[in-house]
Amino acid sequence: MKRILIVDDEPHVIRIIRLALENAGYTVDEAAHGLQALDYLQEHCPDVMITDIDMPRLNGRELCLEIERTMPDRPFPVYVLTARAEDEHREWSSALDNLYFMEKPVSIRRLLAVLDEYFANSITTGEQPCWSAR
Amino acid sequence: MPRSSIREIWKREHLGLTMIVASLAVIMVTLFLLFSYQQSAQLSHIREQGSSLARVISRIPYDKLVAQPGQTGTLSVLQHTDVQTGFAYVAVVDAGGVPVAEVTAPGVLVPSSLLPESPAAWLGERTLSLHGDGRSVTEFFAPLLEQGDIAGYVRLGYFQPGFGLKTDQLPLFASFALPIFLLTPLFYFLLRREVRPFREATDRLGNIVGNNISLGKVELTASDELQGFMDRFNHFVGAVQDRIGQLEADRSELETSTKLLGFKRVRIESALQSFPEAIVVLDESGVVSLANSRLENMVGVPVAEIIGRKPSEWCNDPEVVAFLSGNVPSGMRGMHTNTLEFVPSGTASRTIRIEPYPLFSPRDVNEVLGTLVVFRDITAEKLVLNSSGEFIAHLSHELKTPLNVLAMYSETLLGDGVDNAQIRVEAANVIHDEVERLVILINNMLSISKIEMGSMSIERKRVKFGDLLQDVFDSCARSGREKGIDFRLNLPREISPVALDKNLMRIALNNLLTNAIKYSDPGGTVSMTVEESEQTLRVSVKDDGMGISPEDQDRIFDKFFRSENEAVRQRSGHGLGLSLAREIIQLHHGTLDVNSAPGAGSEFIIEFNKEANLLKQAV
Repeated sequence: MKRILIVDDEPHVIRIIRLALENAGYTVDEAAHGLQALDYLQEHCPDVMITDIDMPRLNGRELCLEIERTMPDRPFPVYVLTARAEDEHREWSSALDNLYFMEKPVSIRRLLAVLDEYFANSITTGEQPCWSAR
Repeated sequence: MPRSSIREIWKREHLGLTMIVASLAVIMVTLFLLFSYQQSAQLSHIREQGSSLARVISRIPYDKLVAQPGQTGTLSVLQHTDVQTGFAYVAVVDAGGVPVAEVTAPGVLVPSSLLPESPAAWLGERTLSLHGDGRSVTEFFAPLLEQGDIAGYVRLGYFQPGFGLKTDQLPLFASFALPIFLLTPLFYFLLRREVRPFREATDRLGNIVGNNISLGKVELTASDELQGFMDRFNHFVGAVQDRIGQLEADRSELETSTKLLGFKRVRIESALQSFPEAIVVLDESGVVSLANSRLENMVGVPVAEIIGRKPSEWCNDPEVVAFLSGNVPSGMRGMHTNTLEFVPSGTASRTIRIEPYPLFSPRDVNEVLGTLVVFRDITAEKLVLNSSGEFIAHLSHELKTPLNVLAMYSETLLGDGVDNAQIRVEAANVIHDEVERLVILINNMLSISKIEMGSMSIERKRVKFGDLLQDVFDSCARSGREKGIDFRLNLPREISPVALDKNLMRIALNNLLTNAIKYSDPGGTVSMTVEESEQTLRVSVKDDGMGISPEDQDRIFDKFFRSENEAVRQRSGHGLGLSLAREIIQLHHGTLDVNSAPGAGSEFIIEFNKEANLLKQAV
C-alpha cells in the first residue's frame, strides 16, 4: 500500500486531494499543520509527503527543516505546494535533497502523474516509523 | 568774570593783547632811553656850564663878588641867568668856609661843607645834599685868590637833573608815543585781517572733525599772499567734504546691503531650517559651513558641534566620512552625485541616504563653491517598498489559495472518474464558496488600494445612521442565524443624523459583523450597540467567541495579518477585513479599537467625535 501524507490547513484542499489519491489507490493520511505532521512521523513513515507552506503553528518551511535536522537520510520525497515561485524558497531549500516544489494552482492530474512517476522508480517502505528517536 | 571766559578771551585775543603790551613796553623803553639821554645830556651841560662858570667867577676879584651894602652883588646876576639848567645856588665863602655872599634858588639853603685845604684840590666838583628836602646837588667850587693867597671859595650848586616828565617835554613825548599807539591797533587789525581766514579754516576743520559736514561750500577769502594757500585749503576742504559725503553714502549703502543680506540670510536659513531633510553644506576645503537642525536627529551630534568642522571630526561612520571627503569638489570632481545609504550607529532600524549636490557659482558654472549634502531618512520609503513587495506577495498568495482550490475542484468536476453525485454537489459548493471568497478579497483589495492611493472619493451624504445600522445588521444576521447565533441590536430611539459615505460605512460595519459571526461558536451572541453622548457617537460590535490574544491584538488591523492560532486558521479569511474597516472609519475621522481577551469574546468599538468635521457638516 502506497501511503501519502498530506499536510495542509485548508480542509477543502485535503478533501479533494484525498479523494483523487484514494481513487487512484493510495492510502492518504492528513495533518493540519507542521506539528501534527511531526507527530505523525514519529509513528509512521509515509512513501511521499505533500505539504503546504502557509500553515499555523509550524509552517511548511519549518516542517521541512525540522525533518532534515532530525532525519538527514529521510527515505521519502517531499512535495511542497506553494503559492509563490520556487525561487523564493531557494534560500532555505537548496541544501535539502529529495524536495520538490509544485506551484499553485496545482493540477490533480499533474500530481497523480508525478506520484506515478515516482513510484515507478522506487519501492515502498511499508508502515514502520521512519525514525524512532526524536 | 569767570576764569574760563578770561581764558577764552585770552585765547581769542592774545595776539592783540600781546601787541598792546608789547607796544606799551616799546613806548616805556623808548621813554626810558629818551629820559636817560636827556639826563646825561643835562648833566654834562651842567658840568660844562658849572665848571666854566666856577672858573669865570673865581677870576672875579673877591670884593666884587661880595656885595657892598646898597649894591647888588655880581652873584645876584646869576640868579636870573640860567634858571633853566637847574641852578640851585651860588655862594662865596671865605677861607674858613663861612658864607659871605650867596644867591639861591627859592627855598634852597646852601649846605655847609668843608673845603679842601690842599691847593691841588681847590678846584673841583662834588655832590651834596640839600638841608631840608635832601635833594642832590652837584656843586662846583673854585678858589678865590687875592694876590696868590686863598681868600675864599666860590661854590656853585646845580640840582641834579631829575628823571621825570616835564610839561614842556609833553609834545616831544606825544610825538614819540602817538605813532606807536596809532600803529599798534593798525598792525593789530591788519594782522587780525590776515589771521581771520586761518580762524575760519580752523572753525571749518573743527566742524568737519565734529562730523558736521552740512556746511555746504563756504569759500574763504584772504589777501593775495594767503589767497593761494586759502585756495588750496578750500580745495582740500571741498575734497574732504566730497570724500566724507562719498564715504557716508557708501556707508549707508553698505548698511542697507548688509541689512538686506542679513534679511536674505535669515530667509535662507529659515528655509533651510524648515527644509524637511537634513542639510549640510561643505565648503571647498570640506569643512561644514552650514547645517540645519534636522541633522542632529540624523547623526546624533548637535549642529553647533558640526559647523566649522570636517566630517571626520563629528562622524563616527568611516564609510560616511570617506564618502563625504570624496565629495569635496576639486573643480569638476564635484559633479558626481552618487549616493550612499547607511545605518546610523545605535539605530539598527533606520536607513539614511546621503545625496551630495555640487554648488556651482551663479556667475561661473565651472566654479564649484562647495557641496550641499542632503541626509534623507529613507526608513519609511524602504518600509513602503518592502511592504508593497510583501503586499503583492501576500495578494498573490491570497489569490492563489482559492484559485488552487478552484483548479482542483473544477478538475474533479471535469471528471476523472469521479462519478459520485454527492462529490459533484460538494465540489460545486466549494467552488461557489471559493469564488465568493475571491470576490470579497478582490473587492476589499480594490477598496483598500483606492483608499490608500487617495483615489477613493467619499460621497458624504446626510444619512439616517440608525437605518443604516439596522440594514447592515439585518443582512448579516440573516446569514449568521444559520450558525445558531443569537443577534441583538441595541439602538437608541433617536440618533443624530450624520454625513457619511453610506457604501463605505456599510463595508466597514459588515466586515466587523462578519468577523464577529465568523469567530463565534454556535449558540453564541453577536450584539451591536449604539450610544450617543454630547460629544461622541459610539458603535460597538461584540461577540462572545474565541477572543484575540494580546499579541494578535497589536496586529489585527495590519493588512493580510492572519493569526497563527489554529482555531482562527480554520476560519476562512484573508486578513483584509479589519484593515479596510479601520481605513474607512478613519476616513470619516473616527477611531476603531478592539477590546478582547482569549476565550472572552471581542468587542470592536467605533467612535466618532460629534464635534469633528463629519458631524458638523451633517447638521
